[in-house]
Amino acid sequence: MIECPTCKNREFVGTLFCSECGTRLVMATQVPTMGISRDKLSEEAKATRPTMSGTPDLSTGALLGLKVVTSGELLSLVGRDNYTLGRSIEGQAVIPDVDLDKYEAYDAGISRMHAELRIAEDGVYVVDLESSNGTLVNGKRLAAQEPEPINHGDILQLGRLRLQIIAQARG
Amino acid sequence: MPPEKDYYTLLGVPRNATPEQLRRAYREAAQRLHPDKNVALGETELFLEIGQAYETLIDPASRETYDAQLSEFEAELSAESPFHVNVLHSRSALLRIDEPQVHYTLLEIRPAQDLPEIRPAVNLGIVIDRSTSMRGARMDQVRSAVLAILRDLQPTDSASVVAFDDRAEVIVSHDQARDVSTARARLSLLQAGGGTEIAQGLTLGLDELHRSYVKEGVNHLVLLTDGRTYGDEELCLELADQASNAGISINGVGIGSEWSDRLLDDLAARTGGNVIFLNTPKAVTDLLNRIYDDLAQIVAAQMRVDGGFSQYVDLRTAFRLVPEPMPLGDSLPMSLGNLPKDGFIRLLLELVIHPLLGLEEVTIANLNVSGTLLGKAAGDRQLPVPIKMDLTDDLDGKPPPEPISQALNLLSLYKLQEKARHEAELGQVAQAARRLESLATQLLAAGEKDLAKAALNEAVQLTHARRLSMEGEKTLKYGTRALLLSPPSEL
Repeated sequence: MIECPTCKNREFVGTLFCSECGTRLVMATQVPTMGISRDKLSEEAKATRPTMSGTPDLSTGALLGLKVVTSGELLSLVGRDNYTLGRSIEGQAVIPDVDLDKYEAYDAGISRMHAELRIAEDGVYVVDLESSNGTLVNGKRLAAQEPEPINHGDILQLGRLRLQIIAQARG
Repeated sequence: MPPEKDYYTLLGVPRNATPEQLRRAYREAAQRLHPDKNVALGETELFLEIGQAYETLIDPASRETYDAQLSEFEAELSAESPFHVNVLHSRSALLRIDEPQVHYTLLEIRPAQDLPEIRPAVNLGIVIDRSTSMRGARMDQVRSAVLAILRDLQPTDSASVVAFDDRAEVIVSHDQARDVSTARARLSLLQAGGGTEIAQGLTLGLDELHRSYVKEGVNHLVLLTDGRTYGDEELCLELADQASNAGISINGVGIGSEWSDRLLDDLAARTGGNVIFLNTPKAVTDLLNRIYDDLAQIVAAQMRVDGGFSQYVDLRTAFRLVPEPMPLGDSLPMSLGNLPKDGFIRLLLELVIHPLLGLEEVTIANLNVSGTLLGKAAGDRQLPVPIKMDLTDDLDGKPPPEPISQALNLLSLYKLQEKARHEAELGQVAQAARRLESLATQLLAAGEKDLAKAALNEAVQLTHARRLSMEGEKTLKYGTRALLLSPPSEL
């Protein structure tokens, strides 16, 4: 099943418009919601893995992007080798590189410094920065401070916020 | 003897299926459809049919006989078919997953390029509601519209006019229609008064059409009404089925807001016709002229789709998009109406596909498009349309083709309207009002200001009167349906 991002109505995979509210479901089609069992999630990441050629939406020069699963919005990551993910509050001294505040980060249980993405020679890694509610890759919970390799199409979950990794082929 | 069913499609296996594949398909059907389980209506019959298919194909000798019959039958059908069908899918492949999935298929039916130029003879029957409510401007407009048609009647064509209230009367018979002054005099006798019994009018109107029936031409009935018929709905639908079987299509024209749109829709759909809503009688002249002109452009009448779906597939809904948008229900066969010379018929199928595991490809349907070719080469023709899909573990992420997403987008508005109306009738007023508001937002986004306003008005009306207005119901229904008339994108 897939879930309508607007009204949470459930439809069969492949449905193009929500029968309850008429919302176009193309984005939701990419993310079947089948409970939170680990097998299902890694299957989901596999089944929804976008092709490399199908990622033209990243900004020029960006090698890596994060797609917000519920809204389909794409965040391009440009110009660094590592990015901290988290949420900012007013007066905070250290602001994360990727501020998820506008995706209702607080309600989703995202810590101020939640996780870090590292671009290394041999691939991209995610590290949980001892967040309160944890970091999951394709449904697998990461141990704090231990880098975990991630790939194009993987589902990265911070608290309850789900992001899909979009990678651009180098060159 | 032609085989009754395509057993391969029914089982959902390729033509060269191995015994192992046959056994697997049969096992899956058994698990889903076995009568020991609680199954939906008709599923036991389906299961028995699948059993028959399996028995036939698993035995090498009977399979050989069956294959020979099937290929002979299909070769006969596709040879020189005057029809051409394009098939478009929402996705290039089905997902190999352990849950049901939705798949959309668009069929476009065109006449073959090399068909001879013809102008078919048109046999037109006009059936007019003359109940009391038609009195005044409505009747005047209808009278002059009909007279205009009779005046311009081509020598090859014929027409007749029947009027009804609680009984029916031939106003202008097909012999009198040739003589304009007689027709004019007879039409001036047409006065409004009495009730509305549509079945009376249909019966006599169809009788008149049969008197001047043209075998190689178009036989068509236009029903003009502004009222609701009581108690004879069943009979009306029976008459529509009879008309359809006799090769007569029916157009419904509803004037004002009091007529029964559901009955007219059902009646017209059974014959492949359509329904037009006129909120003012002024447009009736243009409308009749257009119907008459369109009828002269037809190459084949009584287009139909039958055949069968694989056991893995349920047809959820079917909708004709072109030439006239019309819901077609959820079962085969479907009447599609007339095929225009320079145009096409497009229909969109919404299919639910049950879990498909361990298969490489599947024939989801083996449809059969048929119709009656008009003119010299007149006769019934067919074209088999097998629909095969590959299976994959990975989506390619490609968006659905534009004609499909465009049509579904507009259809989703139509369906929202249907849902809101259904809820309003169940008394779920708040829910229906919310839905209408969301419909209004989407209509506004689509640039349909008037319809959006109508939807908002109905939302307000609902909260006050706890029901929709009859006019609003029809404005929204036929308004959202007419959105599909916007020029369709090329396949």
